[in-house]
This record gives sequence, C-alpha cells and structure tokens, in this order.
Amino acid sequence: MLRTIIAKEFLNNILNLRFMIGLVLCLLVTIACIMILAHDYRQEMMDYNARINIQDETLDNYAVAKQYQLIQLLRPQKPPERFRLLIVGIPGNEALGFFDYNPLPILFPPLDFLFIVTIIMSLLAMLFSYDSIAGERQSGTLRLVISNSISRTKVLFGKFIGGSASLLIPFILALLVGVLYVSVNPAIQWDSSAWAELALLTAASITFITLFYLLGLMVSTFSRYSAVSILNCLFLWVLLILVIPNVCPYISAQFRRIPSIKETERREHEIERHSIEAAREYMKESVKEFKFKYGGLFSEFESMEFGGIGSWFCLGKDAEHKHEKAARQRAEADPEFKAMMDAFREEVHKAQDELMRIRRANPVEDDLHRKAVLQTKLAKNMACISPFANFVYVARDLTGTGLRSLEYFEQTKYEYERQARSYSDKKIDNAREKNPALEEDSFLDVSDRPRFVFKEEGLKGKLGKVLPYWGILVLFNVVFFAAAFAGFMRYDVR
Amino acid sequence: MLKSIIKKEILSNLLSYKFSIITILSTILILVSILVMYGDYLLAMDNHDILRKESGEHSEIIPPTPLGIFAKGLDENLCRSWQLKGVGVEISSEQQKSLNDLFKLFTAPDLLYVIKVILSLCAMLFAFDMICGEKETGTLRQSLSYRLKRPILITGKWIGGFTSFILPFFIAVLLGTIFVTLSAMVDMDAQDWTKLGLFILSSVIYLAVFFSLGLLISCLTHRSSTSLVISLFVWTILVFLIPNLGNILARQFVQIPTTQQLDLKRKQIVNRMRFEMKQIPKTRPDYKKRLKELQLRTIKEGDQLDEDYRNRINRLVKVSQSITGLSPAPAFTLLATDIMGTGVAEERKLKKAVQDYKDFCVQLYYIDESVDEESEPPDFHYQRSSVKDILSQGGLSNSLILILLNVLFFSGAYVAFLKYDVR
Repeated sequence: MLRTIIAKEFLNNILNLRFMIGLVLCLLVTIACIMILAHDYRQEMMDYNARINIQDETLDNYAVAKQYQLIQLLRPQKPPERFRLLIVGIPGNEALGFFDYNPLPILFPPLDFLFIVTIIMSLLAMLFSYDSIAGERQSGTLRLVISNSISRTKVLFGKFIGGSASLLIPFILALLVGVLYVSVNPAIQWDSSAWAELALLTAASITFITLFYLLGLMVSTFSRYSAVSILNCLFLWVLLILVIPNVCPYISAQFRRIPSIKETERREHEIERHSIEAAREYMKESVKEFKFKYGGLFSEFESMEFGGIGSWFCLGKDAEHKHEKAARQRAEADPEFKAMMDAFREEVHKAQDELMRIRRANPVEDDLHRKAVLQTKLAKNMACISPFANFVYVARDLTGTGLRSLEYFEQTKYEYERQARSYSDKKIDNAREKNPALEEDSFLDVSDRPRFVFKEEGLKGKLGKVLPYWGILVLFNVVFFAAAFAGFMRYDVR
Repeated sequence: MLKSIIKKEILSNLLSYKFSIITILSTILILVSILVMYGDYLLAMDNHDILRKESGEHSEIIPPTPLGIFAKGLDENLCRSWQLKGVGVEISSEQQKSLNDLFKLFTAPDLLYVIKVILSLCAMLFAFDMICGEKETGTLRQSLSYRLKRPILITGKWIGGFTSFILPFFIAVLLGTIFVTLSAMVDMDAQDWTKLGLFILSSVIYLAVFFSLGLLISCLTHRSSTSLVISLFVWTILVFLIPNLGNILARQFVQIPTTQQLDLKRKQIVNRMRFEMKQIPKTRPDYKKRLKELQLRTIKEGDQLDEDYRNRINRLVKVSQSITGLSPAPAFTLLATDIMGTGVAEERKLKKAVQDYKDFCVQLYYIDESVDEESEPPDFHYQRSSVKDILSQGGLSNSLILILLNVLFFSGAYVAFLKYDVR
C-alpha cells in the first residue's frame, strides 16, 4: 500500500503545473548560471595569471634591498576557488581594502548554485507540500484514503517519499546538466576531492530541500484550508530565509559590542608610546650612569652616531652600516671600549625587555579579538535557528568559498610570509656581505625567491567543521517530520 | 458605485486572515529593520568620530548619512577613511570594517531590503486571488450580474486592495521614523526629509507595480492556486533572478580587472618611478625639475589607470542596468539608494570629487611654483547630492521605468479582465 501512495503522490505532483514551472526554471537558471560563471571563472583565472605576471615582472626588475618593500612585493595572490563556477565567493569582499571597487555585487548579490537551492528549491518544496494534507481534505480524497485499511503513518510516509522524489527531479536534472558541463569543459580540471565535495554538496542540498518539504507538510497537517496553509508556509519561509539570517549579525552586534578597530589601534598606539617612554626613561638613566662611569670613552661611543636614544634599542640594526663597523673595529682594538659597549648593550636589552613587558601586558588586542570571536559566535549560533544559515555554512565551507576558506588562505599566507621574511633577511644580509656599500634602494636579484602555491584544505578538515551544521539540518528534518506526524495523527479528515 | 467597491474591498481585506498575517509580518519587520539599522548607524557614527579625530595625517573621511538607516547601500564603503597617494587613493586603515565576518555573508536588513524583497511578495499575495478567487467563490458572477461596469470593478478593486495593503506599511514606517528622528544622535535637515519622502513615494510606486502584476496574473488565471504558483515564480524571477543574473551577465560584456590587479599595477608604477629616480644624478643642476617631471608623469600614469578602471565600472553599471531594465527590483534599488545618497551615483560623485581634489593638490604642489611644499594641503569638502542632482543623475529614468511598468501591468489586468470569463 505504501508503494501505491508513493506512486500516487509522485504522479500527482509531476502532472501538476508547479512541477513543470519548477523544472523549466531550475534547468534554465542552472544552465545559464553555470555557463556564465564558467566564463567568469576563466576570466578570474586570467586575472590571477596576470597578477602573478605583474608581480614577477615587478620583482625581477624593481626589487630592492629593503625588507619592508620586498615583503610587500612578495605578498601572495589568491587563485579563484575551483567551485567558483557553482558558488560565487563572498559578495563585496573584494571591495574591502580598496578605494576603487565594483559596487554591483554589494547591491545585487550574484546568482549561483546557493541561490538555486536556498530560494528556488525551498520555495518549490513548500509549494509541493503546502496542500498535501489540507488540500486533500478539502477535495475529499483524504477521507476516502483513510477509510481504507491503511495506517496514517503509512499515508504520511508515502506522501513524504513520493513528494520529495518528485521535487528532487528538477534539482537532480539541473545538477546533472551542470556536472556534464564541468566534465566536458577542458578549461575545468577537477580532481577526485572536488568531485567528492560536489557529492557531499548534493547530499547537503537534498537535506535542505527535504527540510522545507517537511515544513510545508507539517504546516499542512495543522491547517484546515490550503489557502491558510500557503500563507503560513510563506510566512515561515520569509522568516527563515529572508529575515533571521540577515538580522542576526546586527542583533549580536548590539548585544556583544566590539570596540571599533580604529579605537583599538588608538589605544594600542597609546600603550606603544607609553612603553617607548618608559624604555627611554630607563635609557636616560643608564646613559647618565655610563657618562659618569666611563666619561670620555662613552662620549666617543656616543659620537659614533648609533642614532638617538630611541634607536639604541635596535643597536647594530638601525645604525648606519659604516658607524656600526667603526664601533666594532674600535671595540676589537680596545678591550675597555668593548667591555663598555657590551655593558651598554646589556642595558639596551634590559630597556627592550621593559618595553616588551609593557606591550605584552597590553590587553587591548586580546580583548578585541576575544570580543569579536564572542560576537561572531553569538551571531552564528543565533542564525542557526534558520536552516538557510546552516546550509550556507555547510555549502560554502565544504566548497572552499566561505569565511573558513578566507581564514585558511590567511593561515597559508601567514606561513608563506614568514618564509618570505626569512628569505629576504638572508638575501639582504648576503648582499650586504658581498657589497658593504649596498644601499636600501639598490636593486636586489630575487630570482631564487620562494613561490607561493595555494593548496585547498583537505576534505577531512572541511568535513569536521561542517558536520555540526549539517547535523542541525538533519535535526530540523526529524523535528518537522515528528511534528507533521503528531499533527496528522490527530487530523480531522472530514 | 466605485466607492462601494472600494469600501467592500477594504473591509473584506481587513477581516481576512491574509491581512492579519501580512500586517503583523510587515509591521514587525519594518520596526525591527529600523531599530537594527539605527544601532548600526550609531556604531558607524562612533567609528567616524574616532577616524575624524585621527585624520590629521592627510586622510579624509565623510560622515555616514542618517538615511543609511533606511537604505544602507554603499554607505559603509563611502564612509571609509582614505588618503591621497601619488599613485591612486588608499584606504588609510584596511581594518575599518567590523571584525564580525558574518556581516559579509548576509544582506543588510534595511528598509530597502524589506520593501524590495518581502513587501513586494506581500503585495503579490494580496492581489493574486482578487479576480480568480472571487470567481471560485462565485461572488464575481453575482457582482457582474448587476449594472456594474467591469472597468469600475477592476479600478475599485485595485484602489481598495492597494489602500488596505499600503496603510499598515505607512503606519509602521511612520512609527519607525518618529523613533529615529526623536533620537538626539540623528540629525536630519530639510534635504534629508525631502529625500525620505521621495524614498517612501518611490517605494509606494514599486509596491504598486507588484500589486498590479498580481492583479494581472489573477485576471489571466481561473484558479487561485494556479495564480499563486505563477505569482511566486514571477516574483522570484523579478526580485532575485533578473537583478542577480544581470550583474554577472554584464561582466561577460565588460572586462573588469580585480581590484588586486589594479593595486599591483599601481605598485609597479611606483616601483618603476623609484628606480628611474635613482637614475637622475643628484648633482645635475636641473635635478629638482627632472624629479618633478618624473613624479608628474607617474601621477598621470596612475590617474590614467584609475580613470580606465572607473570608466569600465561605469560601463558595467550601464550594461547591467540595460539587462535588468525589465525588472522593477534593480530600478527601485538604484533609485532608492541614489535618493538616499548611498548609491552608485553618489559613489561616482565622491570619486570624481576625490579625483578633482587630487588634481588640485597636484597642481598646487607640483605645478604651481609659488606654493611652499611644506605647507598643509587645503581641507577636502564634500556635499552629498541634492534632490535636483539625484533626479538629473538617472533618478528620473528609474522612476519612469517603475511608473511605466505600473501602467503596463494595470492596463494588462484591465484588458484581461474585460475579456474574463466569470462563469
């Protein structure tokens, strides 16, 4: 009997106008989307290659022996995500640090696979299920069905399976067209992990779509009329998809306030100034003592222009090369001068320790990040009430197009920059050794520089992060089915 | 007779379940949106005050507009602190945005978003069964069996239905606006009030488009369930599909480099200049002159790069507008953000003002010999567009699109209803 109900529900749906509209819309949007985004992906790849070429050209021709500038030039470039042809990266993110930017993605978020699943498919799911109980009651067929020897559980289960199967046809067909396009397009090279991610994305999408089907079914079991049922369904849809996820970050920002970054920077500058002042005071005292103890010898050391009091902290680094050399030569010739220089260096280290102690005691940055983490966590947890937010986390993090991928890129970037820093240190030191007259703006050959290669995060790491959100989606499914079951058990079919 | 129809329509709507649920939803949403965005505005003002104090080192910043509470648009980007550089303009602190990354994932829930997405859906839900629903219940046949003309009936239905839909919207917006303007932190002048009035007017026209469209669909169908399905799909296409597809489709016709590429090109120009600077012997008598010439050439090259990028962006916006011309949602988004001074036109105006300011500074320090190089640059002054500017910048064409769509959909509904089989 269950089979008959499934077949009836399935046939009933696929012969309906909404199925045809859904199918046409899904296919058209998916094909248009994938073709346009694939072209976009190619353009972004070209842009990425152009960026690498410009960077190489600049480094090959204009690299200088100044660490700061060299690090700036070695800044790694992020390649476009491999899922770029299905899911567009975070809208407006590109505009963040620049004065000139493309304003359109901020006003009109781009269309992609996420849109198809979260808007079209969720709406379609509710349209498929809003009248499956109330509508049948109104037309009288539900009474006829129940009058046979069939349990209500089977009717509900059959409706769920038959309805979901018919609903998933447009989605699976659209996805297959997409897969076909990806597999025949020579410009797109996906490895096995990318295909595995696509399979998982499909599974997560199905969980999300059935969730909305069950929500519609649940609302239907609590409504007497399909007109009321659809209104309630749309009300919930608007809340869950369009309102809750967008409002949560703003509400959390009101509850858990973060001091603005600029304010934090200002407080940090104050602490920095204070630490320098403290160290300077310490050094002033030391200088007085040294003058008293060593007299003319210290005046000679001072005249070697190791810089002002402040630059004594970076003894031997900030000082001009020739002066440093002169001081060392003098120290080698005179043991007393050497002892004084070493003692003075010891004092500088002590001043540096004092400076670092004050800076380390600075709670501002830690406090800011702790508050930011708490605010983001609160917003994220609040948004979890909406299946939309959960699905967005799962889909974006699984395909490397979300916030986590940005974090991951920052991590790899940080590692590369550390490598680049030690490379540039060594390179500049070696060049100085070979040519002591080397100036900061002299050309430096960096053809042997380390290259940045971005590798996507492994599937295991991604899965670990998305499973809790996926779990919530499954839980929503269970809760809605249980509620629909409870509602249907007590449903008056007359 | 028209009066009776309007009255009947308003009363039947007021007593319906649909009215209660839509009124509750829209009122809560509008109030929550205004409250939430008000909080966001206060945070933006705090940030601005701190940035303003620190902008002594030649960085500039414009304050956020209180109208951003209603339509945030690009205001966050417009109000960043920036600094003139020899090549390009730089954001003085890269970390001016909130540390809460979740803002990047979801849309700002301002009044513009509520009207554009949610209230447009409500407008269609109000109108989808106005004709076919009455046909199903049989009241339409009864009404027309009297000496009632069809044009009067449909006009009465439109006026009555739309009035009952728009009244709760007005009340909610009024409440929200009173709350915002009572706050001491929000300072709105006469211009701002005019802009807010225009924004509400354009919102009413926009919602009327969807209401007329719902009526048209209702006149073209004979069952309310069919009308509902078609209405929802048309809404999805007009509100989400066309605007968002138009944005990515426009990029197929206008090639835009990423901002990162632009930045790298600027850096390359600067690094090349540094190298060329080294080639000029300091002992030459015309050293200073040649140095200035080189710097001027570099600035010009950088400006050319920026101009080319901005021209491309302008072309992209135009192409996107042409593609999405069929849908009321993009026209309304552009119109509303332009009216509130947070849109593409304002952004373009700000960039032009910055470029002019930069040209002025270059003229002052590099070309005008009489000016002392050590002297402070003049302050940067910027005035957001007036209502007149907005209308001439393209606001009129966008409002015309909305009015035209309104007329088109209502005429369609009118013609369809004249031929409608009420049996």
